[in-house]
Amino acid sequence: MEATIDRDTQRKWDAASRTLDFFSYAEDRRLGPHKRRLFEKIKGATLLVAAGTGNDFKFLPPNKKIVSIDISPKMLERAAKKAATYSGTVELHEMDVCDLRFPDAVFDTVLTVCTFCSVPKPIAGLRELHRVLKPDGQLLMFEHVRSGIGPLGVLMDLMTPITVRFGPALNRDTVGNVQKAGFRLHRVENIHLDVVKAIEARKDSYV
Amino acid sequence: MRLIVWPGMDLVIAMLLGLAAGMVIHFVLSLALAPLLGIFETMIPGSLVGMYGGMLFGMRDSMAAGSRTLSAAVLVGAIFGAIVVAGVKVYGRVLRGAALDAGR
Repeated sequence: MEATIDRDTQRKWDAASRTLDFFSYAEDRRLGPHKRRLFEKIKGATLLVAAGTGNDFKFLPPNKKIVSIDISPKMLERAAKKAATYSGTVELHEMDVCDLRFPDAVFDTVLTVCTFCSVPKPIAGLRELHRVLKPDGQLLMFEHVRSGIGPLGVLMDLMTPITVRFGPALNRDTVGNVQKAGFRLHRVENIHLDVVKAIEARKDSYV
Repeated sequence: MRLIVWPGMDLVIAMLLGLAAGMVIHFVLSLALAPLLGIFETMIPGSLVGMYGGMLFGMRDSMAAGSRTLSAAVLVGAIFGAIVVAGVKVYGRVLRGAALDAGR
């Protein structure tokens, strides 16, 4: 059966592809070292979910063979140019994380960067990642989540109905969603307040 | 703020108007500054200053307790903003690091 694509989400990120590099310029410089530190942990066959415009390829360890997906063809057009300058290989595919065209248990590592703030059905997407990971495989995530700091969390709830029209949701409980999807948390690190987090989780070997 | 909130206005309406105005201003400023400073660096303190600050300043103006001149109002706003930014920075340092580490 042919895989399905969420067309509304695709259109939104096609539109965002024009300005993403501009708006993320300073963030890349600020958060880049943290991303590089997390990406050093990738091993074996690796799936990078949501390539975006390929901004994060420069933080990957050198000479790796990466498979990467994105829902937006416009993002992938830009990512292809950056993939060409990476020392390893980045194989790009247009795909929805909620309906991956990969067999079960093929990847040793799945990497996501600011992805699950934007997936409309995050638990369904995470369950797909759980399916394609090998037993004992690792999920590495660099994500922003809803703050547990009372006044800030409320603001994020108030702003989310606006931000989802052109970008991400600000109030996702991604750490909780990772557990709901069947992963075992290994490490959670606060990078910026309790909003930007590096999350490491495992797929248990007996699943 | 005094364009939309005037002395004697109902306190709740003044707070809601202040919140709405703060939200709009914070969104515009955050988007303008994000490429230079980073989206999280601007959005988080910006939302706290804009929305909670907007509510406080709306309430203050409805009680006719606001600053008498524009420069005094700017000074009060700058002090409020600096305190919020400093608070976010300090709390960020407190929170930084492993929140969970199963390997330890």
